[in-house]
Amino acid sequence: MESTFTDRYVHAVTRTLPEQQRGDVADELRASIADQIEDRLEAGAEADAAERDVLNALGDPDVLAAGYADRPLHLIGPRYFLEWRRLLKLLLVIVVPLAAFGVALGQILAGAPIGAIIGSTIGVGLSVAVHLAFWTTLVFAVVERSDDAKTAMTPWTVDRLPAENPYTGARGIDMIVSVVFLAVAAIAFVWDQLVGLVYLQGEWVSFLSRDLWPWWATGLLIAMAAEAVLQIVVFLRRRWTYALAAVNTVLNVVVAVPALWLLSQRELLSPDFWLTVIPHGEGEKVFGILSLLTGIAIIGIAAWDTVDSFLKARRSR
Amino acid sequence: MAEKEALETHRQELRRGTVVLACLRLLVESGYGYGLLEQLQSRGFETDANTLYPLLRRLEKQGHLTSEWNTGEARPRKFYRTSPEGLRLAQQLTEDFRAIAAAVEALPGDR
Repeated sequence: MESTFTDRYVHAVTRTLPEQQRGDVADELRASIADQIEDRLEAGAEADAAERDVLNALGDPDVLAAGYADRPLHLIGPRYFLEWRRLLKLLLVIVVPLAAFGVALGQILAGAPIGAIIGSTIGVGLSVAVHLAFWTTLVFAVVERSDDAKTAMTPWTVDRLPAENPYTGARGIDMIVSVVFLAVAAIAFVWDQLVGLVYLQGEWVSFLSRDLWPWWATGLLIAMAAEAVLQIVVFLRRRWTYALAAVNTVLNVVVAVPALWLLSQRELLSPDFWLTVIPHGEGEKVFGILSLLTGIAIIGIAAWDTVDSFLKARRSR
Repeated sequence: MAEKEALETHRQELRRGTVVLACLRLLVESGYGYGLLEQLQSRGFETDANTLYPLLRRLEKQGHLTSEWNTGEARPRKFYRTSPEGLRLAQQLTEDFRAIAAAVEALPGDR
């Protein structure tokens, strides 16, 4: 009594299930469907109609599959919805105006016509808003699906009214400050690469070597984005964990090691700025000292950030 | 129409937990998916196939049911049986249900 509708239905249900469940569910479901069809045939139904009726009653195979796999049928459920909404609102309020302001300023400095200034400001504002909404939602949707332990949400009590909490580095404000800082740094970096941060003797000069564009620059921007995601995850978990601190360490190494290597190859900082500011051939010397200080700073910041995240993880255990 | 839907939602919510209770107690004697569905329906527990089948899996995963394939008959079927742990849960749920029924009985407002 094998028939194509049943086969297709069973396949549609099981194809998204974990491998080890698939065969078992398929066999059981096929037997159940056959039982139901048989019942209808005994009651005098026609074979085709019986099969159709049974499958129609079982409904959308994706819904059934979600039931078997215990998967949510929503993008962001009640566990995370409020956090998602609060975060998105805040990000939109803070980042969109900043980005729009930056673009407007840049266009004005570049002497663009008023129409172009307005147009690109609105354009960038819109696309930043769309990106914020998309990536924030994506992160939350992933967390919603990956939190297998269903980390127990502590029930709300009056103690959770906005008040002073022990510092865990995982408060909303910590996350927002980090994310905003990263965004500003990323904008400054791109600006420095494309235009130059300082205006000296009639031209824009970059702090960092322009040869970083596009590959090294892209790598750095991806690392910054990963760092932002990490900050959001820390906030959602309400604390630093050792696993998150380890991820943070990896990110620090991924940024610091190439940066130090580039620095040692004299490919990180741009000598132009220093050679221009400091005359009489002393520029070269200053640039050397500056490179050394930069190297120390890179190591120091990476090391401190790593240690700090582990300390926070231990404190909030 | 909206009124009818609201009524249906309320009734569904009231029934929801009772299906688990009924499954756990019926499966004291081992049974398979569709057979159990028919038993439930004939005993007055309105249940849909597409909620019952995943529910059985979930209860099994939680350790309240055990299962075993019976390949002796013409059609191989997966048979479920309530585990000792499941029996304890059934006991607890039954007591709770009685307490709720008694509490409802004692409410004013019944014609």
